[in-house]
Amino acid sequence: MEKNIVSNKENPARMTAEKERVSTRLITEEEEVKPKHRNIRRRRAATAIIAFLLFLLLLPVSGVIPAVPAISAVQTAAADEKTPPPGVYDTLDALADKTIGIETGSSFDELVSKRLPNAKKEYYNSKVDLVNALIGNKIDAFVADEPVIKSTMKAREEITYVPEYLDSFAFGLVFPKNEKGEELRNEFNEFLMQFKADGRMEALEAEWFGDDESDRQIPEVPAGEKGTLKMATAAQYDPFQYVRDGQVVGYDIDMVAQFCIQNGYGLEIADMNFDGVLPSVQTGKCDFAASGITITPERAESVLFSDPNFSGGTVAAVLRKESTDGKKGFWAGIAESFNKTFIRENRWQLFVNGLVVTLIITTLSILLGTILGFVVFMLCRRGNPIALGATRFCSSLVQGMPMVVLLMILYYIVFGKVAISGMMVSVIGFTLTFGSSVYSLLKMGVGAVDNGQYEAAFALGYSDRKTFFRIILPQGLPHVISAYKGEIVGLIKATAIVGYIAVTDLTKMGDIVRSRTYDAFFPLIAMTIIYFALEAFFIFLVNRIAARFDPKRRSPQQVLKGVEIHDPN
Amino acid sequence: MIRIEHLKKEYFNTTPLKDVSVEIHDGDVISVIGPSGTGKSTLLRCINLLEKPTEGHIWIDDIEITDPKCDLEKVRQKMGMVFQSFNLFGHLTVIENVMLAPMDLLSKSKQEAYDTGMELLRMVGLADKALNYPDELSGGQKQRIAIARTLAMDPDIILLDEPTSALDPTMVGEVQAVIRDLAKTGKTMMIVTHEMNFARAISNRVFFMDEGGICEDGSPEQVFEHPQMEKTRRFVRKLKVLELNIDNRDYDFPGMAGEVVRYCRRNQIPYKTANWLSLAFEELVHQILVKKLENPKIQTVIEYSEADEQVQMTVHYNGEAWDATKEGHEMSLSILQKAAKEITWQRAGGSNQVKLLIRA
Repeated sequence: MEKNIVSNKENPARMTAEKERVSTRLITEEEEVKPKHRNIRRRRAATAIIAFLLFLLLLPVSGVIPAVPAISAVQTAAADEKTPPPGVYDTLDALADKTIGIETGSSFDELVSKRLPNAKKEYYNSKVDLVNALIGNKIDAFVADEPVIKSTMKAREEITYVPEYLDSFAFGLVFPKNEKGEELRNEFNEFLMQFKADGRMEALEAEWFGDDESDRQIPEVPAGEKGTLKMATAAQYDPFQYVRDGQVVGYDIDMVAQFCIQNGYGLEIADMNFDGVLPSVQTGKCDFAASGITITPERAESVLFSDPNFSGGTVAAVLRKESTDGKKGFWAGIAESFNKTFIRENRWQLFVNGLVVTLIITTLSILLGTILGFVVFMLCRRGNPIALGATRFCSSLVQGMPMVVLLMILYYIVFGKVAISGMMVSVIGFTLTFGSSVYSLLKMGVGAVDNGQYEAAFALGYSDRKTFFRIILPQGLPHVISAYKGEIVGLIKATAIVGYIAVTDLTKMGDIVRSRTYDAFFPLIAMTIIYFALEAFFIFLVNRIAARFDPKRRSPQQVLKGVEIHDPN
Repeated sequence: MIRIEHLKKEYFNTTPLKDVSVEIHDGDVISVIGPSGTGKSTLLRCINLLEKPTEGHIWIDDIEITDPKCDLEKVRQKMGMVFQSFNLFGHLTVIENVMLAPMDLLSKSKQEAYDTGMELLRMVGLADKALNYPDELSGGQKQRIAIARTLAMDPDIILLDEPTSALDPTMVGEVQAVIRDLAKTGKTMMIVTHEMNFARAISNRVFFMDEGGICEDGSPEQVFEHPQMEKTRRFVRKLKVLELNIDNRDYDFPGMAGEVVRYCRRNQIPYKTANWLSLAFEELVHQILVKKLENPKIQTVIEYSEADEQVQMTVHYNGEAWDATKEGHEMSLSILQKAAKEITWQRAGGSNQVKLLIRA
């Protein structure tokens, strides 16, 4: 055999024929051949990994992901300067037939249709996506409010805006259209009048639209004697509301905090996607919302607006004329980006908090979903037609629905009037989907067990129940364990959407960080790595458990534990 | 004692058991034989209610198991079953397969179950495979384990459903040896089998089943040596039969000759024998009988016994008492003499009958 291997090495042309011959020989011989294949495989895997890493490194260089925040040598425009630095386009007419980015669910949609009817509209979920799309040349401009863009320009110097206003607008707080909402609205309007009259408004504007981040402080809101107000917001709208040091801050927040202190309310903030803000007020999940919401007649049909708490102009953000790229070294840029993403304002804590939330949702959903799937399977196993029909209906309903839709339905409709946290709703939603997957898997695994196994057990005198647990289930489970692992990976990935119902999970935290740094690279890579690690962890756990319960992996000692062996000889 | 009364099993498209009533005594070793699809396995599976009978009653000792109130699990514990496809529990080792039921159902200690289990494995000659998994064993070994598993419950009755049918011919012997030993222990046994010699050797009673009922029930000698019914005889001697009828002079001789050739090919009758058979058929029927008889009514029955590789041709014909093998064209007669080892003529029930044992 050793000779054979040598000859194989020397004469690769004969390899195939030789291999065929070898494979028909003794098993022990085949084992000697195997390591060679394994080496080849290992080498291939290593090549693939290196290629992938290179690809990741090249992304920022090639500009697909604008990772490096270019700190330019160009003089930064002062915040109070009246005209912005010149952009690629400098009039609205120049944008007439261009592609305009719009944040989904914002009032800018209508505005663009009115002012730039020939422009192509593209929708993005958050401002950070808009910024990155603009820098990546996917859109020619995006629409935002002037103070917001000014604030963005501090982080991304490539951006400027067309000085012409598309529209002037007013932000207002939003209250539900009911008696309680109206009362609260009137209370706030009164406060606002006072606030403007006594100069506190001016101070607030100076604080939040100024340059100095350290000026921006939110007063502590004590537990109020009139109860706690729950406020909905989408904290990705610097400087009106955004997350700093793991806390929601901003112009709106500051004003609301002062209102609560003055009127004796406690304050609880629910951070969610912008799409969810209005529904959460309408359904009574939150008492009011402050999220830089533009007052429009259409919205006023379904909610109550306060008097404007901010007025300004809507502008189109575009790229700056002079190039500001590549003034800083590549590695220095990476370091800067890393610093911004993780170190500054202790943002790594956001990732940790998000990870904890994701971990809790995932773990609970896996546990409860597995139990739910098993219980339902046991109820349906004997073919009870009612249980079976109900299960089929529910599981096709749950599995056929996009997860986002299911979560929103649960949060805003099913539990619309119940005081229940978004996290609980997420756990319920994912338990339902995971449960129905587990149910299908069990059905598949148990169905794969040969009918003869039932007959043999029945013939020995086993009851139906005992047959199932002692004979059928242990043989059915190994069939589906790998599919189960797949479901877990799917579940972990699916949890990334819980941001829609005000849960700040890992993805949401990543979004929050991105909305502050306007830098996609590190938050996304960090999220990817954490998700991979999370998946690997759960797979490892399942493998360990499966190995413990796999009857075929026991040693003879385990099989005969507690038995004294008498040798007849 | 097992008592079966008017047992019927019906599926929506077939009725494998029509009406079976029989009594089985303690200590009986019964072989159930018969063509495929005649309800042998169904009968066996009805006895431990793996199949639910459509009609009829079954008593085991004095318990009516077809009564819905009966504690079926208790009854089944005393009634082992060995399957054609072994049905060993794939997730357990051999010894665990044997130990599982006594521990789960008879609440025996693990030690006790292990000791009995090993004893049984030694009995079936597989003690050294105790820690192997079923998929590491050959078919014969699997079936022996299945028998040991059944015996571990110490049943009073053992049902064996074609225990050697799924086996490689080289492995049939080892399983039969184990069953043969088992038959001597005095347990009541019922075994569905296609192995006639084996059935004959081990049983004290044989059921021949056909068309959903027990056609013959007797000792092996009765059933195998002196069967009451023609279909039993044909079955136990493994006869392949061809019947040809002629009722007028203008019959299609080449067509019939072709049928004989096809029959020979189908049953793999040796070439020489087939040749002699064709010749004998042509001379006796075509050359002698049809020419002589004015209004011929001739029935030819050809039987080929796989057991002793013999072809027998029986020709019934009308007319007066007349031995057709004695008169006729000399050439034809000499061919007949050559083609047959043995020729007998007899007059029975108003017709003549010639029997030829064809030369091999």
